[in-house]
Amino acid sequence: MALLEIRALTKRFLGVTAVDAVSLAIERGELVSLIGPNGSGKTTLFNCITGYLPSDAGTIAFRGADVTGAPPHRMSRLGIGRTFQLVSVFPRLTVLENLLVFLQQHQEESFFGRLVRSPRLRRLETAAVERARSLLALVGLGEREGMPAGNLSYGQRKLLAFAAALMPDPELILLDEPAAAVNPTMINQMKDHIRMLHAQGKTILLVEHNMEVVMDISQRIVVLDHGQKIAEGTPEAIRRNPDVIEAYFGR
Amino acid sequence: MGLPWIVAAAFPGQQRYLLHILVFTGLFASLALSYDLVVGHVGSLSLAHPAFFGIGAYAAALLATEAKWPFVAGLAAAVLAAGAAALLIGVPVFRLAEHSLAIGTLGFAMVTHIVILNWVDFTRGPLCVTSIPRPSIAGLAITTLPAYYWLTLAAFAVAAVLYRALTTFRLGRAFHAVRDNEPLAQAAGINPLKYRMMAFSIGAAVAGGVGALYAHYLTVLCPEELTISLTVTLLVILFLGGVGSLRGIVIGAVLFTALPEVLRVAPTWRLVIYGSLLLAIVIRAPEGLDALFRRRAPR
Repeated sequence: MALLEIRALTKRFLGVTAVDAVSLAIERGELVSLIGPNGSGKTTLFNCITGYLPSDAGTIAFRGADVTGAPPHRMSRLGIGRTFQLVSVFPRLTVLENLLVFLQQHQEESFFGRLVRSPRLRRLETAAVERARSLLALVGLGEREGMPAGNLSYGQRKLLAFAAALMPDPELILLDEPAAAVNPTMINQMKDHIRMLHAQGKTILLVEHNMEVVMDISQRIVVLDHGQKIAEGTPEAIRRNPDVIEAYFGR
Repeated sequence: MGLPWIVAAAFPGQQRYLLHILVFTGLFASLALSYDLVVGHVGSLSLAHPAFFGIGAYAAALLATEAKWPFVAGLAAAVLAAGAAALLIGVPVFRLAEHSLAIGTLGFAMVTHIVILNWVDFTRGPLCVTSIPRPSIAGLAITTLPAYYWLTLAAFAVAAVLYRALTTFRLGRAFHAVRDNEPLAQAAGINPLKYRMMAFSIGAAVAGGVGALYAHYLTVLCPEELTISLTVTLLVILFLGGVGSLRGIVIGAVLFTALPEVLRVAPTWRLVIYGSLLLAIVIRAPEGLDALFRRRAPR
């Protein structure tokens, strides 16, 4: 049974079919990339999978359970983490709080426990701070934990958003263009982080335009064009696929 | 909010008047704190707060005069009525986008005012609810001004402790996440609607409680207490004191409840001085007076 199974997912915007009957299965522990020209529906597909956009047809199953139409916060709690294409942090929370907020909803829902800071919650909080600090150290933001996240540079915010998505230890991670608009050093850093996650057994679905990154780290590549899946296979096979070449460069 | 005897010693002959101002300050500070849960912490510009204050005030006033309910029961009913009204109105209004939220809640506030003004059989409308009894708690009658001062101070303490508990630690972090970036908050597993409703209805419940204390203090309650001018006063306290900050709101409440009274010594220039001060604060401390204190603290 695949970890994530999408069947004939369709999303239309006023007559434009942004995602057209796309089926996709991702096995546990796989690292899959989703590529395609601009406007081919990659981000729309991401937003449908994570519950940000309601799909018009098709089903989504996670761990074998149907989760079609579940809201984004529920998908997050089920174990699907994501980052956004446009860098996204909580600007007025500190760097450390940005990470803490990503874990807490997965732990405790009792309103009164939170209001009176129950001892159980304080223990969880101490452990969460520890985990957050180790993630910050990993992405090189350890020195900045007390700073409002809005004061970080673009690249630092990108790293923070990445670390935040890892906070609740999601089983499936969807990364939307992690290597876009950052300098070459950071691209390599991101690549290393993604490889490390994969080595730890995480399942990763990646949207990325940087072909060097995609070809380098993916096990399997899915190509979208005009909302349709036009190819699927290993980086080598995709590189030679005539349909893919045509979609990118024209006939 | 100094202790009453210190105030009394410092201003001989003016004790009653000063205590009255302090009671008002305490009530306005509590009301502003409850409003800030919505405006400052989940970032929703609701204009419905006077309605919740009014619903609480009228619930307590009518239960005390018509049904002869004891004070504590009336206070509890006021808190529940205002909180329940917020739950009812909250579900539809929080489906609206930011700007429509302000208009939607303003509409609710105006409708509430009009209903209270015109439902004369039930609320006495413009004739006002009169001879509301002074409160009595467990046989202890709160009839004197100093006693009411202590009651207000206790109410303020409850509001402040609740405000702190709600706006720090995990609850506060979730509220602030919703305020700062809603889609990202969802990715963190937060249901924005749930947290907005939480802040909105708890804020409304506290406002209802303050309304009850207000009605029992003045012993007369008229519909004009819950017009848009109350929203303006609250917004001035919040934005000039410091949105999202307990200290800022207390500073704002002290300044903007006490100041208009203090300035009565110069009646001709009163509003000129008041307006100039507002302008000066907006120019010198656009983030509110609280920011002046924060700037000195190390980053």
